[in-house]
Amino acid sequence: MRLLYIETYKLFRQSRTYYAILALFFIEAIVLLSAYYQGTGIIDIVLANLKDTFYFQGKLLNGNLIIYFILNSFWFHVPLLCMIIVSGMLTTEYQEKTLQTVFMQPVVKWKYLLAKYIVASLFTIFLVLLLALTSFILSYGIFGKGDLVVYTNGLTFFEHDDAFYRLVYAFLFGTLSLVFFSVVSLTLAVLLKESFKTWIAAALFLIVSTLLLKIDLGNEVWNQIAFFKLNNTWQYFFNHDIEWNTIIINSVLMGLYILVTMLVGLFLFQKKDIG
Amino acid sequence: MKLHGILLLFLYAANGFSQTAEEQVLFVKSRLDSIETFQADIKLHVDISFIKMPDKEALAVFKKGEDVVIKSEDFVLIPKRGLDLSFSELFEYPFMVVDRGEVEGQSTSLLAISILPSDNKADFSVANLHIDTQKQRITWAEINTKKDGAYTLRLTYPDSQAILPTKLDVSFEMDRIRIPLNFAGSDVSIDRKKIRAADQKTGKIRLALKYRNIEKTQ
Repeated sequence: MRLLYIETYKLFRQSRTYYAILALFFIEAIVLLSAYYQGTGIIDIVLANLKDTFYFQGKLLNGNLIIYFILNSFWFHVPLLCMIIVSGMLTTEYQEKTLQTVFMQPVVKWKYLLAKYIVASLFTIFLVLLLALTSFILSYGIFGKGDLVVYTNGLTFFEHDDAFYRLVYAFLFGTLSLVFFSVVSLTLAVLLKESFKTWIAAALFLIVSTLLLKIDLGNEVWNQIAFFKLNNTWQYFFNHDIEWNTIIINSVLMGLYILVTMLVGLFLFQKKDIG
Repeated sequence: MKLHGILLLFLYAANGFSQTAEEQVLFVKSRLDSIETFQADIKLHVDISFIKMPDKEALAVFKKGEDVVIKSEDFVLIPKRGLDLSFSELFEYPFMVVDRGEVEGQSTSLLAISILPSDNKADFSVANLHIDTQKQRITWAEINTKKDGAYTLRLTYPDSQAILPTKLDVSFEMDRIRIPLNFAGSDVSIDRKKIRAADQKTGKIRLALKYRNIEKTQ
């Protein structure tokens, strides 16, 4: 517990943590601003074909659609921020040689890193919570409520209450994917030790994962279990019928990937010399 | 004079198919023209393969000589055509009626007719109707418009007297949807074969109407 407290304290003493939070708000502000000025145009393009046949009553540019746009930042921006901050939790200690000082005291190496993993995961959850809260409050406050329209091989409309709970679940389950990327970045920090190398490796990992998401592995099982195929699990909440079985299986698998990545990191850290 | 009119109506009703197709159409038209206003709660069900939408509720307000106004707090797709329950667009300009003979309806035989506008200003080129001659109302219509393609209406009435339907199926041809790919989520797999196959689709909107009030001229 003491290790957890110390790690949390160290994390929130770092200025880059606050830069990350600011960056998160900045991304959110950009999405909100672009939606405010260009949202109607986007909706018009999406519904252009239907305009020949239908009149539309009501507005689709509403808080739910904006939150959905913000959720899409899960794909790249938020994991990238998390990876930079989380990897810094270890790389700065390597660089500033504080690790050597720490291990002059009776601290078990794997427990020390485990504390970092736990704090990193909690910090990621905190970031998602912050993103979710602010996006719900700002989006509903500025754009109001209404039906959510999404495109998944056709247009699917969700009424406000339905959309709200799907968005909440999407944030919840999307968090798992972010925790995975944070854990990976900490494991990369164990391997590479240097900040820049770790950032580059982490960004590369994220880019490759995003690219691989679209690649068909030619095998149903691999398409189901490969980690990069699990990162879009939150999108399943925007299918008309929610495939709970798939979501639960994917989440359990993602949990296992997180666990295995942590164990690899703990094993390597335990084996490696500090220096 | 009034008595004469009632007698004429009685004879028409009693004789059914002995009337000419044009007389039948004019009789239905006069019944439809008698509707001055109505307000109806409607439930809209969208039946289009590439659109999934929950059923929506709205209020339809009709005033003679005006388009039906749909009011709703939700987002609703309102078909551009097919909500003209007074069929005013068919009878707005002079027209010809072509008798197409009898067709079998669900419980009774129906008169099939075609309406051809004789004025170029009309919005439609030809309208095919099935008329229940005993109940003096339209049960099916296929209207070929000049601008908005063809659409089909199937009307279901609550009783033998009603002139306004309580169920209305509007079918229409529509282009497939073209979504800019950057709108689709990063994970969305685009099934191009499926999209191409769905180039032209028939859409259907089902309306269930519950009338709050109907005002007619006597």
